[in-house]
Amino acid sequence: MTVTFPQKGLPWLLLLPQLLVTAVFFLWPAEQALEQAFYQEDAFGLSREFVGLDNFLDLFTDPLYYQSMLTTLVFSFSVAIFGMSIALLLAVMADRVIRGKLTYQTLLIWPYAVAPALAGVLWWILFDPSMGPIALWLESMGLDWDHYLNGGQAMILVVIAATWKQISYNFLFFLAGLQAVPRSLIEAAAIDGAGPFKRFWTIVFPLLSPTTFFLLVINLVYAFFDTFGVIDATTKGGPGQSTNILVYKVFEDGFVGLDLGSSAAQSVVLMAIVGVMTVIQFRFIERKVQYS
Amino acid sequence: MTDVILENVGKTYPNGYHAIPSVDLSIEEGEFIVLVGPSGCGKSTLLRMVAGLESITQGELRIRDERMNDKEPAERDIAMVFQNYALYPHMTVYNNMAYGLKNRGVGKTDIEEKVSNVADMLGLTELLQRKPGQLSGGQRQRVAMGRAMVRDPKVFLFDEPLSNLDAKLRVQMRIEIRQLQRKLGTTTLYVTHDQVEAMTLADRLVVLNKGKAEQIGTPMDLYDKPATPFVASFIGSPSMNLLPANLVEQGIKLSETLILPLSHAHRGGVVWGIRPEHLEVSDEQNADFALRVQAVESLGAETLIHGALEDQSGRITSLVIRLSGPHLPEIDSLIWLIAPTKHWHVFDAITQQRL
Ligand SMILES: Nc1ncnc2c1ncn2[C@@H]1O[C@H](COP(=O)(O)OP(=O)(O)OP(=O)(O)O)[C@@H](O)[C@H]1O
Ligand SMILES: [Mg+2]
Repeated sequence: MTVTFPQKGLPWLLLLPQLLVTAVFFLWPAEQALEQAFYQEDAFGLSREFVGLDNFLDLFTDPLYYQSMLTTLVFSFSVAIFGMSIALLLAVMADRVIRGKLTYQTLLIWPYAVAPALAGVLWWILFDPSMGPIALWLESMGLDWDHYLNGGQAMILVVIAATWKQISYNFLFFLAGLQAVPRSLIEAAAIDGAGPFKRFWTIVFPLLSPTTFFLLVINLVYAFFDTFGVIDATTKGGPGQSTNILVYKVFEDGFVGLDLGSSAAQSVVLMAIVGVMTVIQFRFIERKVQYS
Repeated sequence: MTDVILENVGKTYPNGYHAIPSVDLSIEEGEFIVLVGPSGCGKSTLLRMVAGLESITQGELRIRDERMNDKEPAERDIAMVFQNYALYPHMTVYNNMAYGLKNRGVGKTDIEEKVSNVADMLGLTELLQRKPGQLSGGQRQRVAMGRAMVRDPKVFLFDEPLSNLDAKLRVQMRIEIRQLQRKLGTTTLYVTHDQVEAMTLADRLVVLNKGKAEQIGTPMDLYDKPATPFVASFIGSPSMNLLPANLVEQGIKLSETLILPLSHAHRGGVVWGIRPEHLEVSDEQNADFALRVQAVESLGAETLIHGALEDQSGRITSLVIRLSGPHLPEIDSLIWLIAPTKHWHVFDAITQQRL
């Protein structure tokens, strides 16, 4: 059902705040970046020169850019897969809890309220090689932890920091999805001789697939674009290039390296990726299998 | 051979609600037992205890002489048809039916054969590759039955399987279920709150009231000799006329002026009952009493007349009579009736037992 407004003006008036926010904080910067991507600017911002597609050509011939892409993929899929698996496990357990359900669920939702940069700082402290409790504990277990030197460890740290925050969000969706699976299906499967594990993998999990797919896209988008704060607070892209994911590289090349043209070109590429992911998302959600 | 035995089976839910005080029932092999009763009387609870979906908190359940209380649903060799069918929405009809067999490690060719046999029997062959979402209500119902049948279980359990179908389809499926069950000879426990379904399907009926079996017997037993006013009013449509009365020396005293002669040793408050179809129209001389017509329902083949039994004291009691064929008495006219003694049902008002 659609509600129609008597006047033509009212809907636009109601949309205005949203449109303004979008215009000021997205459309305008996006346009700026798009423009910038075709210019080469000197380090002091005093002069600039139209260079056509040069910034993009430089980008796509730069091995560091491909390395950053690979790093981003590893990082993003790790965040999405770990975040979703842990959240699903927690949701399955929460679904069975009867007493204290609300407390448990509320506790699990809290991390989502923590800002990404704060989450980064939190984990940075916990894993600090000289005084972080987790780092010290790992050392006592015979594992030398130093994410300032070890690229693999740095990646693990940023993945943990970025995943931790996202678990709450995933958890909420999985829990809602689990609660929507009719009890009688599980009972029918139990009578049909499927044990708890088999029931989960052959009945519950397939029925959760729309939720899972939705969360996969959301988590990838989050890891791709929303993790600047986490990286900045923990590893700053290092050591070397080991955690320099695409969003962070935009910042680093632009504001640290002062190569605004390349930075703008990278932003444009990122925007294109978001666009593609959004389209995929909507396509699938529209076509999503409807179970009755 | 006795197939399923419930001995003093009771259920208290974790929240302390005592849903079933105690039920005793033994079911013969191949028997079709219908559990019937009003909403909330514990029918589903009892069925789910047999299925293993609810724990049995008291008494013992045995299937083929084996204690089942602590067995998982899968180990009881039962199959259940749910009210909402509970078909797996992401699987095809074929896979819905094959799922239980696969889980039990039946070979692929065996599965194919069994599924196609059952699909044949139920007319589902054309639909095997469809998903439940692409089926009509009646077809889903059949798939649910098929899923129960392929495994050839010891016991079928049905929980109101027809309640989501329209009236016509319900009648058709009812007949089909009965025929299939006869053919397969599988012991069946069937829950319904529809008394017509109960009467037509059952070898024996269990009338449940607040978690207690009020009476267990064949449909005709329950119709002819209901043990309590509850059973009397539950079985038969329209319900039996039940009137409070007193048993005195002269007979059943319905009011100060109306006494129906009967010699019985019992004295005191009773409930006197007669079915609408057993009241006979007569003339003023021979009649036992008169009915003032209040409403007439013509159903074509039969006519239901609702009226009031009046006496001088002004007390009014409602009665229904059921006559075959069309009748059109005027509203407010009097109809003279005979209540043949052989059709009376008399219950003690306090113990509610049949006298
Ligand atoms: N999980 C539960 N916890 C507590 N009480 C319950 C539970 N399930 C059912 N009951 C109660 O037990 C009683 C019997 O329920 P049951 O579902 O067996 O009724 P029913 O005869 O199948 O009714 P209907 O015809 O409406 O399906 C009801 O009063 C119900 O409220
Ligand atoms: Mg029920």
